[in-house]
Parts: sequence; C-alpha cells; structure tokens
Amino acid sequence: MEHKMYAYKCTSCGTLHHPKHYVCKKCGNRKFDEVPLEGEVTLVTYTKVYNLPEGYMKPYLGFGIVKFTNGLVVSGQLEVECPEIGMKLMATVGVVKEGIGADYYGFIFK
Amino acid sequence: MREVGIVGVGHTKFGKMSGGTFSDLLSMAAIQALDDAGVKTGIGHGIDQVFVSTMGAGILNKQSGIASALVDYLNLRPAMAETIENGPASGASAIKLGYMAIASGMCDCVLVVGGEMMRVVSGWEGTDFVATMLHPEAEYNYGLTLPALAGLFTKLCMDKYGITEKDLAIVAVKNHENAMHNPVAHIQVVPNLYCITEDEDANVMNPYVAEPLRLYSVCPVSDGAAAVLLCAMDKADKFNKKPIKIAGIGQATDTHAVAEREVPTDLLAVRLAAQMAYKMAGLTAQDIDVAELHDAFQILEIVESEEVGFFKRGEGHIAARNGETKIGGKIPINPSGGLKAKGHPLGATGVSQVVEIVKQLRGEATGRQVEGAKTGLTVNFGGFGNNVVATILTKEES
Amino acid sequence: MIVDKMEQSLRPKETPMVIYPPKYITMATGEKLVIRQIAREEVPHILEAVKPLMTVEADFYDIVASRIYSELLGYYRYRVKDEYCLIGTINGILVGIVNGRMVDDKVGMSYHTMTLKQGLRIGAQLFAAKMEYHLDFLNQEEVWIVAESPNGFKRWMIEYELESRPEIWHELGGVPTYVLTKALWEKHKEAKLGGRRPVKEELLKTADHPILPETYSQIPGYKR
Repeated sequence: MEHKMYAYKCTSCGTLHHPKHYVCKKCGNRKFDEVPLEGEVTLVTYTKVYNLPEGYMKPYLGFGIVKFTNGLVVSGQLEVECPEIGMKLMATVGVVKEGIGADYYGFIFK
Repeated sequence: MREVGIVGVGHTKFGKMSGGTFSDLLSMAAIQALDDAGVKTGIGHGIDQVFVSTMGAGILNKQSGIASALVDYLNLRPAMAETIENGPASGASAIKLGYMAIASGMCDCVLVVGGEMMRVVSGWEGTDFVATMLHPEAEYNYGLTLPALAGLFTKLCMDKYGITEKDLAIVAVKNHENAMHNPVAHIQVVPNLYCITEDEDANVMNPYVAEPLRLYSVCPVSDGAAAVLLCAMDKADKFNKKPIKIAGIGQATDTHAVAEREVPTDLLAVRLAAQMAYKMAGLTAQDIDVAELHDAFQILEIVESEEVGFFKRGEGHIAARNGETKIGGKIPINPSGGLKAKGHPLGATGVSQVVEIVKQLRGEATGRQVEGAKTGLTVNFGGFGNNVVATILTKEES
Repeated sequence: MIVDKMEQSLRPKETPMVIYPPKYITMATGEKLVIRQIAREEVPHILEAVKPLMTVEADFYDIVASRIYSELLGYYRYRVKDEYCLIGTINGILVGIVNGRMVDDKVGMSYHTMTLKQGLRIGAQLFAAKMEYHLDFLNQEEVWIVAESPNGFKRWMIEYELESRPEIWHELGGVPTYVLTKALWEKHKEAKLGGRRPVKEELLKTADHPILPETYSQIPGYKR
C-alpha cells in the first residue's frame, strides 16, 4: 500500500496548510480539503544529527526543511550524501519512526 | 496596576544532584530566597501564592501537582499553589503569573520556584523528553530533536549572515569565563578557543551534535532550582533588602512547526516579547545595562541579541567577536555564564536568569559584576522560539 | 617468587606483542592527555587507583573496578595470556585505564574501560585508543566487546555501529557480544580517534610515574 502525505486546503480561501491546523491561518474558516502533497522540492536548510532520541539506534540521521512548488515549507528526514541549500530533491514517503503496533510514515527527501 | 518587586532570591548549584527528592531540590532554592528576604518560615510567613515552574516533574520524576506537594513540604499551607509548564520558558512564565497575581491585587506576596531534576534519566531519554515540545506529527515523529532544529536554524543563519563555527565558540568561551566567577554554575572549566576550533584534535574533542552545532556550542544537561520572592512594592519595606522592581514583562508566541515560520532566520517571538516589555517599562534597548539571554545553543545568544535590539540583524556575531558582549563591554550578555556554562535545568532557567539580574542590580555579583548596572533584561525561550517571555528589572533610586 | 617447573607450567606462553606507541590528545581545556601502555611491574601501583572504586555502586563502578582489579592482577601474576593495559594521564595524574587481550592473531578481546576523571570525554578516547591498538598496531581483524553499563555501552554500540554476534561467548560472560570489525573501524575512526605522535620527551616524562588521584568525583568526601 502506497502511503501518501497531504496538505490541507481551506474550503473558503484556498490557503494551503501543512501540518494540519484546526482553523485557517488566513480567513479563520474551519473546514479543509485534503490535497496530496508530493513532487519536487527545493532544500531550504539541512543538518546531520548525531545524538538521536530514545528509540533510534542509528549513529546519525539527516534532516532537512524544503519548499514545495506550491509554496508550502515542510520538515522531514533527508537522505542526501552532500546536501546544498537550494538543491532540487524529490519528496518520498517512508517509515520515519518505528512504532509499537504501527510505524509512522513521513517525508524522506532524496 | 500595583507595582511588583523582588525581595529575595535563591539558587542551588546547578549540575548533578546527589541524592534527595525533587521536593528537596525545590525546597533548597525556596528556603534560600526566604532567608535572603528575611522571611521566617512557620506561622506568619505571609506568602499568599506559590508557583512552581518545571517541565519534567510529570514525565521524568513521575510527580504531578508538585506545587501542591511543595506547599505542604515547606509548611506554607494554606497558600494558593499551581505548577506552571511552558517548556524551557516555564520559569519566566511563572514569574509573569506571580507578577499578575500581585498587580491585580489578589496577592501581596508570591513565591516562585523553578526546578528540574533531569539527570535521573539517560541521555537518550533526556533528548526524547526535550523533544516532546516539538510538533508531534510534523517534527517529533520524524526523530527531530531540539538540537536538530537548532542545527537547521544555525545552518541558515550561517548561510545568510556569514556567522562561523568559530563565532559560536567565541560566545561559548566568553560564557565559560564568566561562569568561573559564579559559584552556582554547573561547568567550572573554561574550554580553550584554539583547542575547540583549530587544534588537530578539535574535530574529535569538539564533535558535531547537530551540524553545524558542535558539543561546545550546546548547553549541558543539569539538575537545579532557583527561586524568587515577589512582593507588592507598597508592602516591600519589611524585608532585608530593597526590592528590585519588575518594570516590564512581554510575551509572544509563534508557529509550532519551525518550517511554518514566516522568516526562517528570524526569532519573531523574541522581538515581539522584548518590544512588549520595553513598552511596559517605558524603556528602549539602549537603556539596558546587562542581559541574560537564553543561550541553550550559542546561535540563540547571537540572534536574540539582535532581535532585542542590541545590534542590527546580522551584526550580533561581529559584536561578539569584538568583545562587546563581555563583562566590561558595550552590553554584557550572560555574566552568569548563561545556559551554556551555568547549566540549563529547564524549569529553573527562567527564574535563574532573573536571580542573576537581581544580583547584578543589587551589586552582589562578586567577580562578575557589571559596574553600575541599573536596568536588566532577560529572555526566556520556550520550545524552539514558539513561546518567548522577556522581563525587564530596574533598580529603584531611593 | 621462585619460578620453578610448577610455576612455569601455570604461566601462559606469551605471544610477542608490539608496544602501543604513546600519543597525546589536546583536551578542550588545552590540557594534554597522554596515553601509553604500562609495563607489568606497574600494575601494583595502578591497582591502588582502582581500589577505592570497588565499592561504588553508582554507574556500575563497583563491578567494573573489581573486574579490572582482578584482570590486572591476573596480568601481573602471569596467569592471563597476552593481556595489555593502557593508561591516560593529564599533568601526570592518572585519569583513566583500559585493558584487553589478544585471543589470537585475528581476534582481540576488549576487557574494560574505566574513567577516573569524569567530564572530559576521556573514556571515549581511551576506548578508541584500545581499538586502535588491536586493529592498527596488533593488526587484528576484529575486537569482541561487551559492557556492564547499559548507557556507556549503548553509546559505543550506536556510535561505532557495532555488529551484533550473540552466538559468540565473550570471556567476561553476559550477552550479547558485539564486534568492532576492521571495516567498521575504518568507517568511524576518523571521527572517533584523536591524538598525535610522537609525544615530546618532557610531556612523556610526566606520565612516567602516574600520580594516584587524591579525590574521586564518584566518591564524594573521599581523600587518599
């Protein structure tokens, strides 16, 4: 089963949100449509973290903040050898955290 | 609104607590503040309200309602009591609420105690605990941590303003040098600038924690507590020392997920909180003589010094390079050693910063005194900048 | 001690092992940590530094100290085959001890790492020095590792990406055994291994007669 990530589009003014909010940040409306959030992204900033929290057994993990073509800015894990600010990447969806019973799916930028 | 002042301060040695309960830790600081003010414990103590600021009492120490427990432990019953949680800004928030309780007329005398006993868990659990303040779906579930967010922010600031890793190390060394004159500071050694930046072994001895932040650019994990006794200025003449006035308080919130920030290199909540505090105090950045700015990551000291108006955006690191933020410089920042060297028990920090400013304004900061300091500013940074509280304290002329 | 036929038969045959070349590491404070191998005759002196920690329950110091004590004594009294011990000193004062032994030309057995002075990452550097000895100087292929302290060990397990080999039995008992292979060492050593050689004569001299620590942060109130 392919996992998808979504943005939340205000039904009143069309402003996109990610992550979810209860109230539209622009017009205050409270209803949203789910629209797939995918595609090409531009890398805004990145880091490689060596001290991971409880439950992560890797020596390090890469993270990045990216901008989608629709303007949304989002954070996620990064699997890039030599990241550079401004580089173009693809947003993929994968397991970002192993859970008990269910794994968490999120963005992995490659 | 009634004016509110600080009449007593207490502060434990930050570091690793050896034995004792969380209530013991809080009590040590609380009693110090009461003794400093000259308040007798027991019947007739005169305290109307106790606020305890802590982020981890529930998660790390498995205690809820710690304020209620402390009131009984110290026999301050039936004083009102609440536990205040605002992440790392819990301390300043508790002081703000203490101020509001007195200014509103509801209380005359409020005890604020902030504390954290973090070193009871492993490093991984500690990192996870701190990460609970991140956005659950957009950040926490990815394995993002507070240092990770700081790394992302630092990279952007370096790219935009030309801040270097060495600049962060310069700020860290300054803070450690200051801490050598602060007996309650956690870290009592000074790293050598060359050894942590350019020496051949620097890469191994000062490794990356979250690139480009290195070990010596992030604060340690500490246990500790600090306390202040607040009183209405019109009832403050019965204590040992003249009150230090809380002249201004400001607070602002920002987006939870850092990716959603308007300008990713800005700390908007810091700017707004400081502006609000200046307005209430009727002062500007130029009037501040000394500041304690939340430097959990050394990049924060630099950017906060700009957002509160000490320096133009993008020039804070230049000022640090030129020694302008040292004691004796243009605007001394973190004479206590800051979070970097003094330590950072999350719930205690906001109160600890205010304790330092009170000592500075009273002229009690031996060895690290900013000469003639009359006005001080603190900035307590919650989450990764999504909830910031600023306070301004002034020394009243007799 | 009379070394007669009986005593001789109880002594393991020693494999010639190259001596660990001493090195020094510059600490963040500017102090120099000197790491060198000890000679057998030095063991009784080193044991005096280990003794006070044998009853400190916190952080597993009691079991680590007690086991190091017996391991070093075994080395001193010629009852353990091909054992070695490296020490670290700062300003002449003993700050850490690591030990292990050669099982054969391919496999090293890591015994213990004990930090006397906490807070300066000395343990991490002594552990790395031990791995350096096995893999770069004794030219072995892998080192078998276990540990008593869960936090201390988890750190190495994650940072070096140690291979899990639960089917192997480590001499110190307990499971599971983790292995640092030559490949993993080559991958991580640049980030983990500090130090420079050679050590200048005056600096090396300071490590000649290691001074026993007067106080231990692990034992509040103790004074030698």
